[in-house]
Amino acid sequence: MSNAAALSSGQMSSGRAALILATFLGGLVSGVVFYAVADKGTDANPYATLPKAAEPAVTAEVARAIQADDARGLANQLDMEVLQQLQAAIEPLADVRSMKFVGAVEKSGRVLAAYVAGGKTSDGTDVLVGFVLNVTGDQIVGVN
Amino acid sequence: MFGLKLLPAVVRTGLAMFIVGGLVGYAATGFTTTLVADSGILGGGESSDAHKYVMALLQRESESLAQLQPARDVVSRALQQQSVSQQATSAKPLSVTYLGGSSSGRISVHIYAVELQATGGQYQFFPLALTVVGGKVVRVE
Repeated sequence: MSNAAALSSGQMSSGRAALILATFLGGLVSGVVFYAVADKGTDANPYATLPKAAEPAVTAEVARAIQADDARGLANQLDMEVLQQLQAAIEPLADVRSMKFVGAVEKSGRVLAAYVAGGKTSDGTDVLVGFVLNVTGDQIVGVN
Repeated sequence: MFGLKLLPAVVRTGLAMFIVGGLVGYAATGFTTTLVADSGILGGGESSDAHKYVMALLQRESESLAQLQPARDVVSRALQQQSVSQQATSAKPLSVTYLGGSSSGRISVHIYAVELQATGGQYQFFPLALTVVGGKVVRVE
């Protein structure tokens, strides 16, 4: 093969390689787009949903006290019955390391404020526990 | 086959590369999204398993509930079926609101608020907190 022919063949090869790469990348993008269109994710909710509410100040205080390991603060904010409900709700957490407000809804003057607490059990296992503070008239009346 | 030989070689190769790229893109996206959802890297989104569980609970589908729970003995499953079928059949869900959730590793917690019109017109408004581990609902409160 002459030098000119070899050069021409090399240019054809690189052009063809670029074309193949481009079609492969085009296919790759199409695959991603097709997945995004075809994936339905979470099924639709057949029921009505309530509008989200802001975090009530009273529950934010309780969340702060739990995260700060402030037993005195909690004792001042909640009565014994609610404290016992809270104790049962966060079981088996023994050491709370994180506290996250995840959302709240309000209906007929009653607010449900949801939190997720993270931490360790008494044997050192990492756990997440969800609980909901039930608020009526700026007062926590129950814990689920 | 399918007249592909009639096409120029470069078009055949391009077509094959496009199909291979498409399959790789589709499979890689599916794998990555599943991995990310299970690992909780992005946190808070609603889990498909938690959603299905709540829907099955409200529609009293004991078979679906059993599939979304860890494997249990036959007596526990029978007890659950009995419990689900004995729930008031006239209870009508009014609303189901996903409040939010949080993930850490394979564990995720998802919280819902449910409004029900129970038997005799009794109104109920209560939360449901679901703990999901590896696609199974391990705790409901």
